[in-house]
Amino acid sequence: MPVPESAPPAGALDAAARLADRLRWFFLPLALCALVAVGVHTAADVVGELILRMVDAADAAFDGLAARWTLTAPLVDLVGPSQRVFFARGVALLWELVADALLALPMLGYDERADEVKRFRQLAAKAWARPTTLRLVHPLATGAVALAGSCAVGRLLEGTLHFGLRGAVGSAADALARGCALAAVLGLVAFIAWRAVVHALVRADARSDRIPLRRARAFTVGLPGALLLLPLALAALRAAPLLSFLR
Amino acid sequence: MRRARSLADLALAALCLWAAWYHTPPGALLRTALARLLGGRGATPALLSYYGAGARPLQLAEPLPPRAALSPGAALGLGAQSALERASPADRAQVLARAGLRSGSTDALGDWIGREAQRQGSREAAVLSLFCGEEAARFARDRAGGARGAATLEELARQLPPRYADRVGLAATALTLGTAYALAWPLPDSAQVTSFFGVRAHPLLGGRRFHSGIDLGVPVGTPVRAAAEGVVRRASDDRVSGRLVLLDHGSGVSTVYCHNDALLVAPGDAVAKGQVIALSGNSGLSTGPHLHYQLDLPQGPADPLLFRGARPPQFAAGGTEP
Repeated sequence: MPVPESAPPAGALDAAARLADRLRWFFLPLALCALVAVGVHTAADVVGELILRMVDAADAAFDGLAARWTLTAPLVDLVGPSQRVFFARGVALLWELVADALLALPMLGYDERADEVKRFRQLAAKAWARPTTLRLVHPLATGAVALAGSCAVGRLLEGTLHFGLRGAVGSAADALARGCALAAVLGLVAFIAWRAVVHALVRADARSDRIPLRRARAFTVGLPGALLLLPLALAALRAAPLLSFLR
Repeated sequence: MRRARSLADLALAALCLWAAWYHTPPGALLRTALARLLGGRGATPALLSYYGAGARPLQLAEPLPPRAALSPGAALGLGAQSALERASPADRAQVLARAGLRSGSTDALGDWIGREAQRQGSREAAVLSLFCGEEAARFARDRAGGARGAATLEELARQLPPRYADRVGLAATALTLGTAYALAWPLPDSAQVTSFFGVRAHPLLGGRRFHSGIDLGVPVGTPVRAAAEGVVRRASDDRVSGRLVLLDHGSGVSTVYCHNDALLVAPGDAVAKGQVIALSGNSGLSTGPHLHYQLDLPQGPADPLLFRGARPPQFAAGGTEP
């Protein structure tokens, strides 16, 4: 009697897929955190000019004050014109790190569920019915920076493929790189960025539920963070050149 | 299905982590630490460089020979030549060969950049083309340009993959030096230098202090002209610097004009090269009528005389501080 053939060994792709499935709990939170951090950095790049103007104005006001007394007059040179750019970038870095602490680091606590879409709908409806600063600002800011992060990742991939493949495939490298970048951006938005928004909504909802039921408190809790995040979110939208992948 | 999704998610996660490696402060710190650990070549990580760490000091060993004011094209050629001298011999040869230049002379580089600026639409893209290649410049320009006009070097560089970081650094140096070499003098040539750049005994505040610019003795009311086109970043008044104007000329170059009698511009104004921006005076902490003229580069204040060529003929005794 012929011995029945055993099932064919699983291919490498299948093994990798199984491994990836087992490790989702590990790499998904990391991916969310990294994507949001990249988006925050992209946005911080854009607000650099705004910060430089603020530093110039603050420096002028400080110099005006310090120069009034002989004892403090040398402080006028503390932040001279040559240090202003460095100082402005220091402020930008601080802003970025605070935004990372508020938006990116909490992503490490992401806990995937099967009913993500349903959960998102419920929380969005709740945020609409019982708005708080946290429920409104954190998910929106997360969405904006995640979009900017997706575009930054796409551009990095496009540039690398464009210049890496040029020798092998010639002029087709441009179309190939562009296509891969666009696919990556769409994939990131569809599979990673939206999860970041859901998680931001979950966290904002949990924190909002702990706020005592007073209307004023609903909008004052998280207000300083919101004031930091909103300009960055607007800058992130400006730093998300979605159309440039199609041009 | 779920496994296929997991595989796609894993690939996307890898992309996110790869980007974070290059585009976040922790990533830059890790790259620097790894480079030090492996003893690799100390290429300045672009991100840390952006935040001011690792900026390479400018070394201009010799004052420029006396010369007439340089045209912007020739100044950019001189800037490119100075930047090329910082590159390794192999890199230098590659840059020149790719540009089809037999020599890296100021004139040849200036002419090449001028022609390329017309093709690429901006001098930033032209300098990027010289150091990174035409393909890279076109790629960056197409992605960064959009409808917002000519992009800055930073905006262009953001479109390029990390392997161009070193070359972009050279392009930035060329643009900075080229902008500085093209600066005009803010006062008539007859104005005497009453205090030079560098450490000196401070007559009013006491002790030895760094003088971040030069003092030019001129009567009150002398027109002070913008050294180059730019934007007024600051027009303020305090008891030390007096009435001062700070102009941003782009590419990391700014000039400061202190102790004026009257300011004729306001923050945000765009000024043309040679435009009268103030009337000199004796305001602030000063012992006599003069203009404190300061040149700032990304690496810090630089001696304006190094970028002027011929020094003023006379040196007047006595100081006009600070």
